Amino acid sequence: MTAVIGMLAVLITAIAAAVLIGRGYQGLRAGAKAAASRFRLPVLGVLGGATLGMAALEFGILRDDFSIEYIANNSASVTPLLFKVAAGWASLEGSILLWGLVLAVFIYTVYRQMAKSTTPDQLGAGALAVLGVIALFFFGMMLTVANPFRVCIEPASIGCIQGSNFPWVSSYAPLQGSGPNPLLQNHFLMAAHPPLLYIGYVGMSVPFAFAMSALMLTMSGAGWLKRTRSWTLVAWGFLTVGIIAGGLWSYEVLGWGGYWAWDPVENASFMPWLIATAFLHSSIVQERRGMLQSWNFVLVITAFALTILGTFLTRSGVVASVHSFSQSAVGPVLLWFLMVVLIASFGLFAARAQAVASSPRLDSVASREGVFLLNNLLLAVFTVVVLVGTLYPMFIEAFTGSQVGVGRPFYDRMAIPLSYGLLLAMGVGPLTPWRLARGSIVWERIKTPVRVALAGGAVAVVLNYRNPFLLLGILAATFVVVAILRSLYVSAKAVSDRKRVSLPAAVSRVVRTDAGYWGGQLSHLGVAVIAFGIAFSANLAVEATVHLTPGDTATVAGYDIKYVNQFTREEPHRAERGAEIEVRRNLQLVSIQEPRLNQFPGVRESVAKPAVYETLRGDLYLSLKSIGPDGVTLGVWWFPFIWMVWAGGFLTGAAALWSRFARRPARAEEPVAVGSDGES
Amino acid sequence: MRARKVIAAIVTVCLAAIVVVGLVLGDARPEDRVASLGAAIKCPVCQGEAIIDSPSETAAAMMDVVREKVAAGETDQQIIAYFQARFGEGILLDPPLAGSTLLVWLLPILALVGGSQMILSRRRKPVRR
Repeated sequence: MTAVIGMLAVLITAIAAAVLIGRGYQGLRAGAKAAASRFRLPVLGVLGGATLGMAALEFGILRDDFSIEYIANNSASVTPLLFKVAAGWASLEGSILLWGLVLAVFIYTVYRQMAKSTTPDQLGAGALAVLGVIALFFFGMMLTVANPFRVCIEPASIGCIQGSNFPWVSSYAPLQGSGPNPLLQNHFLMAAHPPLLYIGYVGMSVPFAFAMSALMLTMSGAGWLKRTRSWTLVAWGFLTVGIIAGGLWSYEVLGWGGYWAWDPVENASFMPWLIATAFLHSSIVQERRGMLQSWNFVLVITAFALTILGTFLTRSGVVASVHSFSQSAVGPVLLWFLMVVLIASFGLFAARAQAVASSPRLDSVASREGVFLLNNLLLAVFTVVVLVGTLYPMFIEAFTGSQVGVGRPFYDRMAIPLSYGLLLAMGVGPLTPWRLARGSIVWERIKTPVRVALAGGAVAVVLNYRNPFLLLGILAATFVVVAILRSLYVSAKAVSDRKRVSLPAAVSRVVRTDAGYWGGQLSHLGVAVIAFGIAFSANLAVEATVHLTPGDTATVAGYDIKYVNQFTREEPHRAERGAEIEVRRNLQLVSIQEPRLNQFPGVRESVAKPAVYETLRGDLYLSLKSIGPDGVTLGVWWFPFIWMVWAGGFLTGAAALWSRFARRPARAEEPVAVGSDGES
Repeated sequence: MRARKVIAAIVTVCLAAIVVVGLVLGDARPEDRVASLGAAIKCPVCQGEAIIDSPSETAAAMMDVVREKVAAGETDQQIIAYFQARFGEGILLDPPLAGSTLLVWLLPILALVGGSQMILSRRRKPVRR
């Protein structure tokens, strides 16, 4: 019954999406048919259908309805509640359904924005048509190659072997489901990571849809940019937090002592982030200076295409990755869709580019827009690095059959200089006046940050931290932080002098008057904090592998690590085998840690669950490599200040969301706030 | 006022000098060849992980071989060649700047050069004053 309801819901959504395309197209052709009321029914159909579909799947999971193949293979009656809920998107079909639901919500928000205005909205109508095409594609997949509601027709003792797309055939439920992939039920972050990432991915389809609509209408100007800024910020903020959550999960679960491995699946989420970041910045240039119109189209098309490419890489099994949790026939379908998207959108762009392009208006490279261009150049090159590194081995293997490897050494060599360049641009950019920056003005503004950064670097040298990467990281990140604080102080001081209010009150007034700008600065602050975290944790890490018998103690990074004894624990959904470790510092017992190996029923290999003793100075990271009667082998790491990577990442993403919701609505054309220029 | 400026300049230069000396003298730690080799060699039984990152037994055994060979004084090239002879060319995660992987290095550089060129060509012609 659940399967029938679920499939009907998906079918309703697909039909509603088709109607949406038709009405959107009519609205695009004739303004009279672009009134929001015409879209009410299909939009509600898409939203209602998608919600019902997701609800049906979750309902089936919570009721242990193993007659549905997806549920039999991704949940078990003993799975804890949180991971049962998360099982709804733990595997391919469910994650496509979640994708569809997020898209439906975004479609609804676009409709809501249209409904607020009384005039016919051709741009919005066209955007809804494009979003309808995307929705039709994803819900069409759910009816065919990625059906989450296939009924089980050949059960195994645990899980389901064979399913059928037709819900009316008689189904046979296995007695027990096989549960989610062990790696996915080891940590709560894995429940949150996919929805966060998908809000980010899918959010990019809104600016894409508006860009396509603007091209179809040959509408030049920044109208589509201004209207979609909210979605871009929301998408970018969630993408940022999602990537950081993924890194944190990798750190806390995989047990190899790192959080980022330039793995194809990680890269797949990083590339859209890079391009979306470039777009966020270049759209400011277009709004303020009318430059880069064509470039913004290129960026938004690329960002959207990269989200599809990312889904393809993650879900098709073409790349070997520690994160590829599902592989199936959706690969070719996604690849075709990617081709269609690329050809159609770049084709449309090529046909209309002349009509919408802006004239070159760069007065000088030494200007705010010049730094924005540098930012875009570096981010674009960064994307090329990641794209080439990810795809090149696949191409070589596909065409010549020989294998080449591209891994961390390559990425590090490329990414490190690019990152320093981006940090510098981030520090200097907001202090540089538009159009033409005189050296004396820029120096006046950067001299304090430069001096503080040099002082920080000098202190590091005196304290004997001479690793060049660490030093450059400290210099660049300190520079960025002080530059932001200085400009906030200068702006607030001016307000407090003029309006005779206290400095803190002035700060709050400055920040709230121009939430768009200061939200961006807060994001920059977050990136600088990440840079500190990476510089310290990567360059000052201590690593050791120790063998300990019960009662033995090893000393790593000033901590005495004593292996007390091994233990075993039986839980309903898994068996845990671990080592009890006492951690002492200066002979004081500070913590008892339990790195474990978790054994899940029906899975041969056990899954390591590292233990992390977190302090403000850094993390002591213990990963169990083997355990037996003759003792344990432990991987021990010390990562100074690694919490800054997570804290900075969440700050970066949260600041974008704050700036979206604190911003005054852009409905009425308001004069550009003076504060956004700093002091230019 | 003037004296303050001079002092500020002197302090800035001194701080810069300390930092530059620190950068030039560089890392006190000797280069960790085992770690950099471990990051450059792929674990053959894993999914795209380097042997230094993989928890698998194969990777641990290969790390032991790397340690022995570094201790025995073999060069990086010799050690990489040893693993490539056993597991194929693709075992190396650090693509060489030659042959079929030359493009991996060239494409980003081309993008950088092309992009810079594009930005510079978009400049408005200098206006006569």
